[in-house]
Amino acid sequence: MTGDPGLMAQPRRRSNVEEQLENPAGEIKRLRRCINDLVSFLALPAVWTGGEPSQVVHTLLDTLLRMLHLDLVYLRLKGPIGDAPIEMIRVGESQTLMSRPKEICELLHRWLEDDPQKSLPVVRKTIGGEDMSIVPLPLGLQGGIGMIIAGSRRADFPEQTERLLLSVAANQAAIGLQEARLLSEQKRVTSELDRRVSQRTKELVDANQELQVQVGLLQHVPVAAWTLGPDGTPDFVNHNWLEYTGQALDYVQSSPEAWMTAVHPEDRERASRSYWDGIRSGQGFTMEARFRRVLDGTYRWHLNRAVALRDREGKILRFVGTSTDIEDVKQSEEKLRRAEEKTRLIIDTALDAVITIDAKGQITSWNKQAEISFGWSHSEAIGQHMSDLIIPERLRKAHEQGLRHFLATGDGPILRRRIEITAVRRSGSEFPVELEVSPMMLGQDWVFSAFIRDITDSKQAEEKLRESELKLRQMTETIPEMLWSATPAGAFDYCNARVLHYTGFSAEEIMGNGWRQFLHPEDVDHTSREWMSCVTTGAPYRVEVRIYNAADCAYRWCVTSALPLLDQKGRILKWHGTVVDMHDWKQAQEELRNTQAELAHMTRVTTLGELTASIAHEVNQPLSGIVTNASTCLRMLNADPPNVEGARETARRTIRDGNRASDVITRLRALFDRKSFTIEPVDLNDAVREVIALSLSRLQRDRVILRPELAGSLPLVTGDRVQLQQVILNLLQNASDAMSGIDDRPRYLLIRTEVEETDHVRLTVQDSGVGFDPQVAERLFKAFYTTKGDGMGIGLSVSRSIIETHRGRLWAKLNDGPGATFSFSIPRGPAGQTPDAPNPEQVMRNR
Amino acid sequence: MKNNRPLVSIVDDDESVRESLPDLLAELGFATQAFSSAEEFLASDCIGGTRCLILDIAMPGMTGPDLQRELKLRRQDIPIVFITAHPDETIRPRMLEEGAVECLFKPFSDTALLAALTTALQLN
Repeated sequence: MTGDPGLMAQPRRRSNVEEQLENPAGEIKRLRRCINDLVSFLALPAVWTGGEPSQVVHTLLDTLLRMLHLDLVYLRLKGPIGDAPIEMIRVGESQTLMSRPKEICELLHRWLEDDPQKSLPVVRKTIGGEDMSIVPLPLGLQGGIGMIIAGSRRADFPEQTERLLLSVAANQAAIGLQEARLLSEQKRVTSELDRRVSQRTKELVDANQELQVQVGLLQHVPVAAWTLGPDGTPDFVNHNWLEYTGQALDYVQSSPEAWMTAVHPEDRERASRSYWDGIRSGQGFTMEARFRRVLDGTYRWHLNRAVALRDREGKILRFVGTSTDIEDVKQSEEKLRRAEEKTRLIIDTALDAVITIDAKGQITSWNKQAEISFGWSHSEAIGQHMSDLIIPERLRKAHEQGLRHFLATGDGPILRRRIEITAVRRSGSEFPVELEVSPMMLGQDWVFSAFIRDITDSKQAEEKLRESELKLRQMTETIPEMLWSATPAGAFDYCNARVLHYTGFSAEEIMGNGWRQFLHPEDVDHTSREWMSCVTTGAPYRVEVRIYNAADCAYRWCVTSALPLLDQKGRILKWHGTVVDMHDWKQAQEELRNTQAELAHMTRVTTLGELTASIAHEVNQPLSGIVTNASTCLRMLNADPPNVEGARETARRTIRDGNRASDVITRLRALFDRKSFTIEPVDLNDAVREVIALSLSRLQRDRVILRPELAGSLPLVTGDRVQLQQVILNLLQNASDAMSGIDDRPRYLLIRTEVEETDHVRLTVQDSGVGFDPQVAERLFKAFYTTKGDGMGIGLSVSRSIIETHRGRLWAKLNDGPGATFSFSIPRGPAGQTPDAPNPEQVMRNR
Repeated sequence: MKNNRPLVSIVDDDESVRESLPDLLAELGFATQAFSSAEEFLASDCIGGTRCLILDIAMPGMTGPDLQRELKLRRQDIPIVFITAHPDETIRPRMLEEGAVECLFKPFSDTALLAALTTALQLN
């Protein structure tokens, strides 16, 4: 601090030395004044007490200048280490000096710099154009505080007293400055302390407010939040967390791991480890764990994060953390991950090599199959030019041109479709592939995905298929059957050579609808109808049709049949058919049918032959009456007188018995003589009664007790009366025969007619005979099977065929008691109403 | 005179026989009773008075031979003339062997019947 010389200038005074020389009395006065001055100097520290150093300095300089009438006093104080020293100057009334304090300062400064330890004695120096006596006065030990320089124009300066005063003043100043410095330091320290205390107070207030805000924030933020003590014990848990987990704050605070009960058992160990690692290390933690949501009892993934709050010294105050429900994120992450995984798996497990390349032709992806197909691993392939890796050299140029052409024009003739092309393996071997390249815009750039399938195998398979087709064709041509196929629409599209050979037609002639030409003209219409019906409905096709046979030059009966080949949706793909020549078989069948008919006739004759005795009996009964009556009549007429009335009566009876005999004969003739059979309504009860009439004598002879149970009103059946009677007769005879050896019980024979619920009429013949072996129940109806010693075994066989011709059935069963029951059941109402039923008349026509 | 006529019983299920035969026998000088079954005859009071039985062989229920055996069991030794409509020649010897007076096949003549009855009555 450089003082302003102008302001500090004092009027020039007379020196003490001058006054001393002028007046000896003045010497005393001078001394006194010196003592006064001395006292003043000594009193200075009291004035200075509690003052600032600057105040000390100012007072000192002013006092020196005034008391010693100095022209110049200069003070230089050392500042704290490294700082520039403080300089101050006061000048007396000299005009010269007053105008140049700065110059003087610099002059003295330089002088002092030469030897900072300047000490007395006095030197004369020219300062500001005036000669001056200069006295340096060090402040403190060896000038440790600074230096005062006192200057006067007086040559005798300083006098003795002045020297004393200067010395005392310097000492006092040193002390004063020392004290002032100390005091000043104390003040500084105190004020620094005050400042710090108030700052800290403010900080604490702020921190408290911040904390309040934070707690409020934590309580109300829309996430689960909490704080933990430095030891890890929760000291605050917000509503969100408590509400979510359903735990009470007291409980959570009860122990460091109480909160862990909300964690999924599988996650606890891991969560606990992360937690304590974070607490102990002071790093806080970030962990994922599933927390139980009390609302619905589900465990949901949470991200739990804690950070440490530290004080100024870095000591951990607490941990602050949040728990965020990341279940949805996690799930969508998982979904995404799975989707990516799936895509990767799909591509990796694809049977095709899947390669993508960028617009430069460089490979950007290369799946497993690509590795297998081409022999380059994923890491080897990525970044390579695809053309270098998998395209045979001779085709590379074309590939690269194609790529450039596409990029330039957007036109790619081989893109987005399957082409067959040759590829090359790492080994250099070439192989056929099926290739499909699809360009895609990814951002601003084109990428190309290539699906490449090794078709070496399918090429071979194609070859095999061709071979097997050939074999199949060979088989269809050599198989000894006539085969053909037709389109779903019913048009002939193939037939083997045998069809052509059989019919004598050419393939061209019979393709499409041409096959109709080889049918018998009478069969064309119904065959075409049937075929088209099957083609429409998909029903199996089977017709008996006469087909022209080239070898015989005649039509022969054939069975043509076909089945549709269906696809998985049941649509007809194809018809496959055969033609089988049935002509010989059909003729044999016809012959068999004739034979059967003859057999039936023979049976009837045989049966009736067995009945001869019974027939004779039937005839003989009325004949006996006739003869007896005639004899009586004659005797009555020969009497004397003739008994005319008695004769007339006996003659009348004769006629009646004659008629009875005639009836019997008529019935018998019907059985023997009828050649053609008529279909007519038949009352089964009547038919039974007639059969009973014919069989009665025989049954009586065989001691059979017949019990007819004929239904009161029986619907008419339609059929051949005589044939049905033949069946009834056969059943009665069998029943009678079955009882011929029975002597330990009555030989009951029940014959019953009844209406069945199903519009059928049933006839039952039940005997109490020997029955039959259940093992042979069905064989009973086989021709030539018999249990009788003298039977031919055709009766039941023929009976069954007759009943079946009447669309009925005939069966046998054993009784609960002894004997067997034979029944037949035939439909009521007129036969022939159902068109597809066999017409009995047709069947019997050939008899 | 009428009371002295010997009683001939007829058992036959055939109505025409039961109608015609009594008239003829009456003309021949016999008294007659006709029965439609063996059971009916056994139930009647004619057994003791019958001098000859004209018996049909084949009947429902009890047959002619059955009745013959029944009468033997009852020690009713009535001469029997069997009649039958079955033209089976083998029947006759068997019937005669069993003690029948005669076995006539229907239709039979009045003379054959008379001869048989005469033989039967001679046995009495």
